[in-house]
Amino acid sequence: MSLARLSLRIRVFLFFAALAAGNIIAVIAGLLFGYERMGDPSMRDAMIIGGTVASFAILGSLAGVWFLFDEHVAKPIERLAGFLRTRTHSEIDGEIEKDLARYLGDLAPAAQELTSRLNATRQALTEAVQRETSRLADEKERLEALLCDVPVGVLLCTADHQLAFYNGQAVDLLGSAHAPGLDRRVFDYLHQPPIAHAYERLLQTEDPDAASDLLCATLADGKVLAARMRLLSEGEDRHLVKRPGYVLTLRDVSNDMRSHAQRELLMDELFDRIRRPAAALQSLTGVLTADDGPVGPARDKVREAASLEARQLAGAIHTLFERHEQNRADWWPLAMIRASDLAEAVTARVEADGGQITCDPAPLMLRCEGFEMVALLGKLAGRLNERKDLRLEISEDGAGAMIALDWTGPMVPIAHLERWLDEPLDVGLDDVTGRRVLISHASELWPEKLADGRARLCLPLREARRETSRPAPVPRAVVYDFDLLGKAREAEFAQRPLEDLTYVVFDTETTGLLPTEGDEIVQIAAVRIVNGRRVHSEVFDTLVNPGRAIPAASTAVHGISDAMVTGAPDIADVGRRFHKFAEGAVLIAHNAPFDMEFLRRKEKLIGQNFENPVLDTVLLSAVVFGQSESHSLDSLTHRLGITIPEEARHTAIGDTVATADAFLKLLPALKAKGLMSFGDVVTEVRKHSRLIRDLNA
Amino acid sequence: MADGGRQQRVLIVEDEDNIAIALDYLMTREGYDHERIATGTGAVEKIRDSQPDLVLLDVMLPGVSGYEICQNIRSDAGLAGVKILMMTARGSAMEQRKGLALGADGFIAKPFDLKELREEVRRILDGRAAS
Repeated sequence: MSLARLSLRIRVFLFFAALAAGNIIAVIAGLLFGYERMGDPSMRDAMIIGGTVASFAILGSLAGVWFLFDEHVAKPIERLAGFLRTRTHSEIDGEIEKDLARYLGDLAPAAQELTSRLNATRQALTEAVQRETSRLADEKERLEALLCDVPVGVLLCTADHQLAFYNGQAVDLLGSAHAPGLDRRVFDYLHQPPIAHAYERLLQTEDPDAASDLLCATLADGKVLAARMRLLSEGEDRHLVKRPGYVLTLRDVSNDMRSHAQRELLMDELFDRIRRPAAALQSLTGVLTADDGPVGPARDKVREAASLEARQLAGAIHTLFERHEQNRADWWPLAMIRASDLAEAVTARVEADGGQITCDPAPLMLRCEGFEMVALLGKLAGRLNERKDLRLEISEDGAGAMIALDWTGPMVPIAHLERWLDEPLDVGLDDVTGRRVLISHASELWPEKLADGRARLCLPLREARRETSRPAPVPRAVVYDFDLLGKAREAEFAQRPLEDLTYVVFDTETTGLLPTEGDEIVQIAAVRIVNGRRVHSEVFDTLVNPGRAIPAASTAVHGISDAMVTGAPDIADVGRRFHKFAEGAVLIAHNAPFDMEFLRRKEKLIGQNFENPVLDTVLLSAVVFGQSESHSLDSLTHRLGITIPEEARHTAIGDTVATADAFLKLLPALKAKGLMSFGDVVTEVRKHSRLIRDLNA
Repeated sequence: MADGGRQQRVLIVEDEDNIAIALDYLMTREGYDHERIATGTGAVEKIRDSQPDLVLLDVMLPGVSGYEICQNIRSDAGLAGVKILMMTARGSAMEQRKGLALGADGFIAKPFDLKELREEVRRILDGRAAS
């Protein structure tokens, strides 16, 4: 053992001990040497006594010096070292004790200075990190808000085409029986070839700025979406990694395409239906007007043919025009806006120009281009500002609405009106006139005289509907987990770390406890856990029509009555959707054999097998807390400090969320026991399967 | 056609000559005393002078629009007895509403069958005779 590894105090002690030993050896050697020289045996005892006394004196004085040295130098150095070490590794503040290093000169003050400096630096660093963290959090929130609001669907996918991010618009666009979910493949929602092809194409360009435009269709309803794909680059120099993820922005163009196709169709039909009678008429007229034309019955036949063709031509023009009129507003995508909002905007505009107007809007939603309509009405009101008590009234008018500006005084001459309509409107575009606005709304504007010395301008809108209460805001949240982008996929469940797996935690409510006696599922609820996080917006919660009466005793437990499930889909439908929801995930339930039994009995009806690996929180609780504890959901959640709100207890979704949260709290405990992978857990769980059956066996 | 011994008078305001030829023929055959002018300009003065029973009024006219003529006739108390039948090449539902709102008594979309026009003219003039 090398000396350097011994503690300072022992080394000092050994040093003094060696010194003492050396001195004593020197005394003994000196005395021996003197005794030999003298050759007088009578001196031996005196020399031994002298030597012993000298040795003890040396031992005593060295022990004294050692003690003082140990007390005032070695010990303080060790304590000072301890002091420095604790302050290096933790954030303890405080002075060094005054007496600690009195004899070490400037060492203690220097150490003190060093630690205070260290603490100050550490504090500054913590503050900087906090500042930066909160700045990043703010930025993240702003980005989330932005991505919520952009009017296109945004998807972020991994190189394996798994969703790592999506916004609310994307949910609407992809719309299918099951909402998009993190870690699902984008091809569950969109047709694969165009996307896969665009991805390959972009990879080949090796250009991080390249984008690829493509058309793709949804699997659910064949909606055509225009999409733009861009690869995700990394770092400040924005280089591409070997297998980059990508962003897809989506826009629904099926309406545009449908309108375009409709229009083309109408044009084709128009020419077709006009050309034929026009040609016939030309020939027939030629025959009739010829100098040597037919006479008598021969002429009557030609005339009849001519008048038939003329009638058909006129009829074709009228019907085609009518269809054109009907489609016209569709080709111009107009939004629904609130009549009161329109009125307010007009008032603001009129007042800004120094005028006055009162408004009386009916509670209607109007199909119109709000900005242009306000500009037109503002312009008209401005031209009418000489008139007394100007009023804007918006009222129901058949299937549409009537926008009317009225005042006390005479009618506006049409000639003036025509002139006003030809003036450009203040909308920032030169060629937008009042007439253009009327045309795009397929509308007209005219003056009318009212009974009591008042007059008005009428502008009818073709489409309006009664205002309903504002719909509850659709949660437009963005959902994401960027860690998915950096995760390689492994096929085998058993080897995968627990936190890498996707879990679907679920619970069922039933008509009773005995599936063998004909009890059925009445509700399924499930949530997803991705990357160790419960994804709040990915929830499955559906009533199921059990096709039989629900006993009152069961209704008393879960509160689901016959009336509530009459309109609900049956287990075949719900089961299929649940199977899709749970695809690729580990199923988790509290007392899973119960729920799985109900599901597996229906596999044939559903047409799918539930082959997912299954974990049971009862067994996990036994692994973590030992078999002697109670493993009911109430006991488990209580032990883990999770509260189930009373109103949620025994609802499928309430119990599901509680089970999911319990599982998330059990995860670290499992890892602490050295159970890192799914396989480890299953092996451990089997030891407890006397408690209940393990379903992976 | 005689009505109460007096021949009814019709003024045709139409800029398209070929349609005017057909209308001229029809009115003659129906026994109306008729006249035609080809522009909107001066139409109202002409109507004030001649006080016709019916004006066959085209909407799209050079000079002054048919709507304007209609409005001017209706705002002149002295012309309360004049009936107006508007003719338009577009004939959308909105245009029809506008025409009727401005005081037209009838509205017919081009192209039309002469028979259709004849019936509409009769309806308006008979209604007038009855009132």
